[in-house]
Amino acid sequence: MIEIRGIRKSFAGVEVLRGIDLSIGAGEIVALIGRSGCGKTTLLRCINFLEDYDAGEIKLDGELLWYRPPETGARRRYPEKALARQRQRMGIVFQQYNLFPHMTALENVCLGPRFGQKLSAEAAEVRARELLTRVGLAERLNSYPAQLSGGQQQRVAIARALAMKPQVLLLDEITSALDPELVAEVEDVIRALTQAGIAMVLVTHAMSFAREIAHRIAYLADGQIAEIGKPEEILDRPRDKGLREFLRRIR
Amino acid sequence: MTPSDLWVLAQAAAISLLMALASIAFGTLLATLLTPLAFAPWRLLRAFYRLYIFVVRGTPVLLLALLVFYALASFWGRISPYTAGVVVLTFYLAALIAEVFRGGVLAIPRPLWDCCTSLGLPRLSILRRVVSPLVARYALPPYLNVCVMAVKASSVLSIISVWELTLASREIIERTLDVYRVLAVAALFYFIMCFAIDRLGRQLESRLAARGFAGERL
Repeated sequence: MIEIRGIRKSFAGVEVLRGIDLSIGAGEIVALIGRSGCGKTTLLRCINFLEDYDAGEIKLDGELLWYRPPETGARRRYPEKALARQRQRMGIVFQQYNLFPHMTALENVCLGPRFGQKLSAEAAEVRARELLTRVGLAERLNSYPAQLSGGQQQRVAIARALAMKPQVLLLDEITSALDPELVAEVEDVIRALTQAGIAMVLVTHAMSFAREIAHRIAYLADGQIAEIGKPEEILDRPRDKGLREFLRRIR
Repeated sequence: MTPSDLWVLAQAAAISLLMALASIAFGTLLATLLTPLAFAPWRLLRAFYRLYIFVVRGTPVLLLALLVFYALASFWGRISPYTAGVVVLTFYLAALIAEVFRGGVLAIPRPLWDCCTSLGLPRLSILRRVVSPLVARYALPPYLNVCVMAVKASSVLSIISVWELTLASREIIERTLDVYRVLAVAALFYFIMCFAIDRLGRQLESRLAARGFAGERL
C-alpha cells in the first residue's frame, strides 16, 4: 500500500537518510528500531511530509505523494491544498502528545474532521465521541489537556489522529514520555487497533511490544535499513552485527 | 485646590482614559494586520514590518505626536488635536502590540504547528482555531503592559493641546500654585486607571486558567 523508494534527506550537509526503501502492505504493522539519531523519526516525518526529503518517492495505493510525477526533471511539489488532502490519509501521533492546550479532548478530536475535512459540527462530534469512547475516555470528553494524565493525553492524541479516518497510522515513540505505569493503557489502545486492520508504522524502543504487534521490524542504522524481517528473526536471530550489538545493549 | 478643581481633574482623567482606550482598540486592530506581515512569505512585506517597528518604536512618542499633528494639519488644514492624538497613539501602540503578538506566535511550540499540518487544516482554520486563541493567551501579560503604558503615554498628548489629565493639572497649578497636591491627585488618578486595567487583566488571566490553560504546559 505504501511504497517508499530511495528516500534521502540531509540536514545541514549531514545525510540522515541515505536511500530508504520500504514497502508496507495494507493493514501491515512495521516497527522501526535503531539507536537514537539513526533517522527513525526523520523517516516517519518524511512519510507524511512534515519533513521535506531531498530525493526518492513515496506512493500510497500507487499514487505518487507530495511531489508531482516527474515530467521534466525538476521536482515540483503539489500545491498546499493537495498536500493537505494527502496528509489526511495518514495520521501521526507524537512522543509529546501535543494536544491543543486551549481545547477540550472533544474539541481536539473534532478539529481535524470539522475544518480539515469540512464535516458538519454534529458529524464531527459524533465521530469524536465514538473515538474517545473507543480509547476509554468517554468520561473525559470535556477535560482540557492540562487536566489529563500523560496516558490519557496520548490516548486523546491517538483518537485525534484516527478521527481523519487515515489509511496509515504513524506512531513516533508514543510511550517514551510516559510514566511506566501509564504505558500499558496506551499500548492497549494500539493493540485493539491492530484488530481494525489499519496499517501502522511505529518508531519504538519497546521491543517486547514491537515483537507482539508488529508483522515486521526494520532496523535502521546510518540512515539505511540494515536489516528487516519478522520480529523473531530480527530480535532472536539477528544477522547484522550492528543490530546484535544494539539488542545486546538495550537488554 | 478646591473640590471643583478635583472635579475638573476627574473629567480630565476620563478624557485621558478615553484617548487611551480608543488608541488601544485601534492599535490592537492595526497590530492584527501588522503581525501577519512579520511571517509573510514575501521578503518585501517582512521588510515593511521591520521598518515600521523600527521607525515607530525608535521615535520618542512626544516627537511622534508633534510630527503627526503638524503633518496631518498641513495635509488637511485644521485638525482636532483629539483626532491627531488618537492617530499618534494608535500608530505607536500598534508597533508595540504587533511585537507582543509576534512574540505570542513565536511562543507556539513547533510540534503544534506539525499537528495542524498533519491534520491537513487550511491556513485560515489554523489561524482562527489554533494560532489566535493561543496568541491571545501567551500575549496577555505583555499586552496588558502595553495597555497600562498607553494610559501613561496619553499624557504626552498635552504637547499638542489635548486637554487631558496632565494638561488640566498644569492649568490648575498655574492658577493655584498648589503644585504638590495637584500632582499627587493627578498621579492618583493615573494609578487608579492603571490599577483597574491590571485587575481586569488578572481576572481575564485567571478565567483562562480555569478553562484548563495552565500556560506553563505547552
